Amino acid sequence: MMASVVANGNQDGQSLVLNGVDPETCMIVFKNHWAQVVKILEKHDPLRSSSMHPTLSVINLGVGSGGVHRFGPIPGDEASAVQNYVEHMLFLLMEEESGQGGCMGPILEFVVMENVMERLFVWSLRREFTDEMKLEQLKMYEMLVGQARQPLLHHKPILRPLMMLLSSCSGTAAPAVEAELVLLLNQLCCILAKDPSILELFFHTSEDQGATNFLIFSLLIPYIHREGTVGQQARDALLLIMSLSAENERVARHVVENTYFCPVLATGLSGLYSSLPTKLEVPNEEWHCLHKVDWMRMPSLVQFLNSLEFCNAVIQVAHPSIKDQLVAYIYNGFLVPVLAPALHKLTLEEVMTTTAYLDLFLRSISETSLLQTFLSFILLHQHESVYILDTLVSRINTPFQLGTVSMALFRTLIGFYCEDVMLQLILRYLIPCNHMMLSQRRVVRERDFYSTSAAKMLALTPSCCSPDHSPPPLRQLDSILFSKGGADTPNSSSTADEQKSFSEEDDSSGNSCTIGSEIYLDVSYLHYLYDARLSISSCIRACQVWSALYDAEDPPPEKYQPGVLEEPKLEGRQTQTALKRVPKLLVSNARSGLPRGEPPSIHQLELEWDDSYDACPVQTTETPVEGKPAHLSPSEPPKHIQEMRRTAIMLVKGSYIEENEFQDDVMVYNLVAKKDSSEAEHAEETQSDPAHAPLRNGLTLPTSLVSDNDKNSLKAKAKGQTDCNGNLQNATPVESGEDFLAQYEELICILDSEGRGKRVKGDRELNKPVSPVEEEEEEEMDFMSFTAETPEPEKLQSPFGTVQRLRSGSSNRCYSVPFTGPFISVLFSRLENMLTNPLHVNLLLTGILAQLAAYPQPLLRSFLLNTNLVFQPTVRSLYQVLATVKSQIEELSASRLDFPERITAAQHWLLAREASFTATDKGGSCGSRQQDGGRILKSSPPPKPKAISLDQTEVFATVLFAEFLKELSAITQEHSILSYIPVEE
Amino acid sequence: PQGHWSARESTVRPDEEQGGHADQKTSPARTSHKKHLPPIPKNAVPITKPASVGTPSHLANGTHASYGPFYLEYSLMAEFTLVIKQKLPGIYVQPSYKSALMWFGVIFIRHGLYQDGVFKFTVYIPDNYPDGECPKLVFDTPVFHPLVDPVSGELDVKRAFTKWRRNHNHIWQVLMYARTVFYKINTAEPLNPEAAVLYEKDGQLFKSKVVDGVKLCNSHLFDQPKVDDPFAISFSPWNPAVHDEAKERMFTFKRRPEEHHKGAQVSGLSWVKPGSTQPFSKVDSPQS
Repeated sequence: MMASVVANGNQDGQSLVLNGVDPETCMIVFKNHWAQVVKILEKHDPLRSSSMHPTLSVINLGVGSGGVHRFGPIPGDEASAVQNYVEHMLFLLMEEESGQGGCMGPILEFVVMENVMERLFVWSLRREFTDEMKLEQLKMYEMLVGQARQPLLHHKPILRPLMMLLSSCSGTAAPAVEAELVLLLNQLCCILAKDPSILELFFHTSEDQGATNFLIFSLLIPYIHREGTVGQQARDALLLIMSLSAENERVARHVVENTYFCPVLATGLSGLYSSLPTKLEVPNEEWHCLHKVDWMRMPSLVQFLNSLEFCNAVIQVAHPSIKDQLVAYIYNGFLVPVLAPALHKLTLEEVMTTTAYLDLFLRSISETSLLQTFLSFILLHQHESVYILDTLVSRINTPFQLGTVSMALFRTLIGFYCEDVMLQLILRYLIPCNHMMLSQRRVVRERDFYSTSAAKMLALTPSCCSPDHSPPPLRQLDSILFSKGGADTPNSSSTADEQKSFSEEDDSSGNSCTIGSEIYLDVSYLHYLYDARLSISSCIRACQVWSALYDAEDPPPEKYQPGVLEEPKLEGRQTQTALKRVPKLLVSNARSGLPRGEPPSIHQLELEWDDSYDACPVQTTETPVEGKPAHLSPSEPPKHIQEMRRTAIMLVKGSYIEENEFQDDVMVYNLVAKKDSSEAEHAEETQSDPAHAPLRNGLTLPTSLVSDNDKNSLKAKAKGQTDCNGNLQNATPVESGEDFLAQYEELICILDSEGRGKRVKGDRELNKPVSPVEEEEEEEMDFMSFTAETPEPEKLQSPFGTVQRLRSGSSNRCYSVPFTGPFISVLFSRLENMLTNPLHVNLLLTGILAQLAAYPQPLLRSFLLNTNLVFQPTVRSLYQVLATVKSQIEELSASRLDFPERITAAQHWLLAREASFTATDKGGSCGSRQQDGGRILKSSPPPKPKAISLDQTEVFATVLFAEFLKELSAITQEHSILSYIPVEE
Repeated sequence: PQGHWSARESTVRPDEEQGGHADQKTSPARTSHKKHLPPIPKNAVPITKPASVGTPSHLANGTHASYGPFYLEYSLMAEFTLVIKQKLPGIYVQPSYKSALMWFGVIFIRHGLYQDGVFKFTVYIPDNYPDGECPKLVFDTPVFHPLVDPVSGELDVKRAFTKWRRNHNHIWQVLMYARTVFYKINTAEPLNPEAAVLYEKDGQLFKSKVVDGVKLCNSHLFDQPKVDDPFAISFSPWNPAVHDEAKERMFTFKRRPEEHHKGAQVSGLSWVKPGSTQPFSKVDSPQS
């Protein structure tokens, strides 16, 4: 192609007309300058080669072997002479317009013919190739590329030296050079994005180096996770290439098959994650999630979020194959090896911190497939045989801040309107309809025409909270204008006339609209109705994409009796998906639970490399996991990969850094992995039989934590302890364990003494089906597992069985005990303790329940809101729990004379809080759209708050309780309308 | 659907019917007190209108708050959505702006004796709904019909709904009944004995009276509604400036749902394969 262009140029050279400056003159000047330059160049040319095209491979070797000064230093005056000539020449080249019909201008043609750029580059290499020199050359090209009036990059004699320059610059640590390099790369990417036809040339040029390569891309990779402008420019540039990949199969294939892009991105996340603080400095007790103001103050977190955002952006624009690979790497390179262990760290603070991070990450992701990855990690991944989801759910019940942070995470999860999440959390337990009497199934879909459920709900309002009892302005009673249609017609006298005009006659005939008295309504209720309408209708809209109605018919309850929802099935499905999504490897690592036992360093590194380059994956079928690592680890990486790595290193020796950079990331990753493995070492002892693992986590018995205060309490405590710490007790039974246990018991004591007298029947029902002896043993076992150094396998069988079955709801024993799932159970048990919960806990809790109540699925809606539905005797309903709380409140208010007074004070306080809240929150903090029951007592002028201590949890809880009833009732009422509005066909 | 209420006819207990009637006549306002339900004025403003949230100056002592009006309002909203769902042939209703207890309606009779009749009516719902009497249906112009009171225009609905039963009886049934009355004429215990007798004795004369009535009714079609309410039903001659655009909108409305769906896919997520209850069971997530 070039030959023809050149020939063309020769032919028409004389006839070209240039604008502005006389092109003839320009050409002559250019040629003269070049002649001068060549003189100097040849003088110092070691080969005195007459060849017009010195091959670059020669130069390569020269530089590589450090033979820069072979022929003695070049005199300074000669160097600067060349410098001057070149500057002029470049200016002329830049200013030259392209020739007729888009062919080369004469100067460009000359440059191409004489291979000017390449010879200049060789010249600069021959001299001392300092950072300064590199900077100079980079700027030169940046100017040329950016300002030339004709396309230059199409010409190999220009492109090739540029590539050489780029390669040679990549290794330097000098920030100035890096900045300039990335800037130039960014510019090149912009040009590529505009004119993808150059792409081929970029690939070809790289091929000259002996590898299929896309240099500018590879060069950018090391800067992916960089802070500041350089990092941003690099990421922007990479994104340009990513969107290019969506159109261009070749780019996509190259990125997937020949670069470390995805692994670097994913392992980079791991690296950045490891530099996050393991314990957050929490501002106060009420704090429960990371807001923007929080993370903006943490540079390491900002950096992590930048990278996460970048992943998100890549997934958004890149070719599906890149997207798939990246997502798989994030799952297997970040979530499973890093985040999962982090969620099971040693101390409450650490675990809480990880949970808060996870919540923040979820809120930061916008791309559905990335979200899917995170969600499937939460829902389906098992860390040491326990589902992440179960662990998270069990933590809701921790009385520590971990509990509220976990709740905040679930608030986020529920807010996704994700069928999969809701299915795992609640719906799967409701589908079989075992929680209600058989005859009640039709009631599920029944409509509450007359707001009877709402009325029943509101009837639970404690007497001390009746709106009549509170003085204005707390009593938000307004005369709502039910009277004679007056208010909106400004002229009230005319209203009276109207009234007359049609009511007189009506009156006499008994049709009458004449009741004239004003009615006083709780205005705040209008707000609840309004909010309910908004949240339900957006939920209905969102759930249109769901696969089923969940109305006790679809899916059919008979088909999904507990026995059908078998665990193994789930497992198989999961592995399948994983295999599909994780194209080549790491699957064994991620899934088996085995890998942590192995010395991870080299092994994993090799796996990593193998993974991305192995062209023919071994793993299309499920082979036993044990065999795999043995098969893979000793084998060398495929030849072409070794080749490529060598090229990467050798390109310009020592300067092309991708390898190094990547290795750094891998090292970080390995460190993390190593740490995990040591953490899990104890676990490993039992790991050989995976069945033993779950016993350590009494996790799946959701309410065990705060459940018993009877004679079994010690065991319960022990159980509770494992509850919130997963494996930790096994890992370090002596050091932190005892101390923690002591703290914990203290807390339990306090909690117990605070008159949480009535025990929840639901809690121990989990154990009911087990015979007394077995139960005894199980409890014993849980305790043992917690204290004993090495759990004894035989004994472990029984709790394992129970636990597993409970969670999957798949055993026969479970069949007989209707169970609405750990999540509901945990929420209810926290709700039952409302009076002892701090205000912020109750706000979160009621917020989550309100969120759930807004879901339109009849199964869920009827379970939470239909007070007419008859449940199985062992199933607790929301209404029952609320009724329990109400009676606690009534008892309390009867025994305390000053209760009403305190209630008023609390109402004032909340009102003031609300006012300040809306004032400061105008900007709208992220993720807090459900923020608290913030809408409480809206729209009134803030009164002066009376002094009341937040320690009086029962007072605040009472106020909140009454408001919560209104909220639920409003949701119930709106459901009776919105869920039945006919949909247009 | 007729069976629902016509079946009730056989169980009529005259004393009950009369008792209810008398009560209504003497003091309609007090029925609510009797039922221990909070008093609700007929002219309740629909609470969905923010403008109606109002004047604190009216705050008086001694009044007690109640959620009763909210229950009533939502019950009536539920009834209204049911009516819409039924797609009753030739019947259109619209609740009044001022009170959810008053619905304006119009019925188009498409064949039979009353063919071409366009009868406007008003439905009055008792304020202790659904525990009171059945709603009343009053024609704006008394139609010549055995079951329509020649003076008040009220249709004898009660014979079909001797006892209004919550959950079983709904307002759409009353509307449906009003339609049926014009196709199957019943002369037993008439409110308009003259019409009943004529129908039995002199079909021709009855027919011509009906035709006259229909004509009269239609000649008043464009009259201003008797009640000054923004939601009252009023007819006007075809005016291209107004109606063409409205018609246009009605037709484009049908297309809207599709567009609507496209735009609304923003929020919800699902990777569950239909027919499965396993999360992430979809082979390939089409959402991505």
